[in-house]
Amino acid sequence: MSISPSSPSVIAATPVRPSLGLMRRFAAAPRLVQGVSVLAGLLIWQVVSTQYSHFILPPPSAVLLRVMDLGFDLKLLTALWGSLQHLAVGFALAFGIALPLGILMGRNPRLNAAVDPIISALYAIPSVAFVPFLVIWFGLFFESRVALVFIMAFPDILVVIVAGARDIRRNLIDVGRSFGAGQAQIGFKIVIPAMLPFITTGLRVGSARAINGMITAELFLAAANLGEMMKLSARTYDAAGVLTIIIVIALLGLLAQTAIAAFETRFLHWHHRK
Amino acid sequence: MTRAERLFWNVTGIVAFLVFWECLGRWLGSRVLSPPSQVLMDYFGLLKAGTMLAELAASMRQMLVGFGFACVVGMTLGVLMGRFKLFEFLLTPWIGMFLVTSVAALVPLLILMLGTGFAFRATVVFISSVWYIVITTYNGARGIDPGLLSVARSFGASTWKTTTAVVLPALYPYLIAGARIGMVHAIRAMVMAEMFVILGYGGLIYQTGMMAETGPLISLLISLMAVSLFATWVLRAIGRAVAPWYEQRTAGL
Repeated sequence: MSISPSSPSVIAATPVRPSLGLMRRFAAAPRLVQGVSVLAGLLIWQVVSTQYSHFILPPPSAVLLRVMDLGFDLKLLTALWGSLQHLAVGFALAFGIALPLGILMGRNPRLNAAVDPIISALYAIPSVAFVPFLVIWFGLFFESRVALVFIMAFPDILVVIVAGARDIRRNLIDVGRSFGAGQAQIGFKIVIPAMLPFITTGLRVGSARAINGMITAELFLAAANLGEMMKLSARTYDAAGVLTIIIVIALLGLLAQTAIAAFETRFLHWHHRK
Repeated sequence: MTRAERLFWNVTGIVAFLVFWECLGRWLGSRVLSPPSQVLMDYFGLLKAGTMLAELAASMRQMLVGFGFACVVGMTLGVLMGRFKLFEFLLTPWIGMFLVTSVAALVPLLILMLGTGFAFRATVVFISSVWYIVITTYNGARGIDPGLLSVARSFGASTWKTTTAVVLPALYPYLIAGARIGMVHAIRAMVMAEMFVILGYGGLIYQTGMMAETGPLISLLISLMAVSLFATWVLRAIGRAVAPWYEQRTAGL
């Protein structure tokens, strides 16, 4: 990974593409095709699961039953609440440090040249491999989980923020300066607003990684919260329970993505039309 | 900023980092953080012992199988999605779902289904890298300049000719960028899966982490970093070689 001036892939794409005649009818109803696709997937799962034992691959209906089990749900919610705590602290730390550091790096090519090789090198090491270190430094519990969420989310957010800070058009800052704006005013009234689309992209990429870190930490450090429930369910061959927890984590991820996307369409519509 | 100036700041940053690490390491002691001078000696010790590189090579071979499957499946799906709306709509909900699902969360389930052997590790690698290859290829395939396709059509090119002469060359850089991004995720997934079941190189990292010295642990991470950086560098070099004119566009991916 190297920090480059071009915008992240999320934004680059031209939607123009040819489609065959047959496909045009489907193109008119994307929601319908998507719904059919999800239903077909569930159906395939149901059929495939009849070939396996319930302990290994339960059918979707068994998972649904597990979701309806209120006792299980109560435990699940308590565990989720515990998981959200280190997720929130780790993610806030990652974002709080990546934002100012990213802006400094993006606006200062020398600092960028000095820090980028180190971040790239550290980023090349899979985050889970730091787990033994985290145990030595922070122990097995909350602090260590926060640290893993941090090291998983931080570099991904930083790259996007750096790209955003480099992307700001020179003339926006020049206009500010010629109207006599000070450093602080340029920072808060020009740089941050101009970077907002990148900040939300950073939040999106970072939240996905942070959620990944949240569950990874619970599985690899001392088992806790959702990770502990998952390990317990796996040990008792309750695959439906494991799947339910996986679905909860996926829904958490989808919720974060949807919330940020909604924020973007509501407040950053000017960028989307660009 | 000139090249020389950039290089100067690169070196300054790295030297400053190493000096800081050395001081911190000496202060904290090698039980908490071995300083780089100590790590260097431990690294040569591990090189001489040989298990580190042997385990790494074995793990990477397994990783490459899962990654190879991910490339074939991911690139095919990506092209189909980019060229045909039906595939785009069929696959987008699944891609969204898999991209937000942490592969680590799938590991306990996959162990129930596949055990802890080769199939399990290759599957973890496949699941965690394939979607990144799909979306990168998809972005490339749908971004093909319609003007180029019109030119091919008006010169009477067949579908086959259009595919080989226009679509594929326009896709090369995205295929390689997809492979590069997928590779990073594949290596991460491999280590994660192995650490979970305490086998292979990931298992070695886990066991080394239990030792009283951190030097060998850092050495293992450095080898892993070297492999990851080397793989990325090779794929970047291939990208530059096959389509230098596209470098700018995919550099940020």
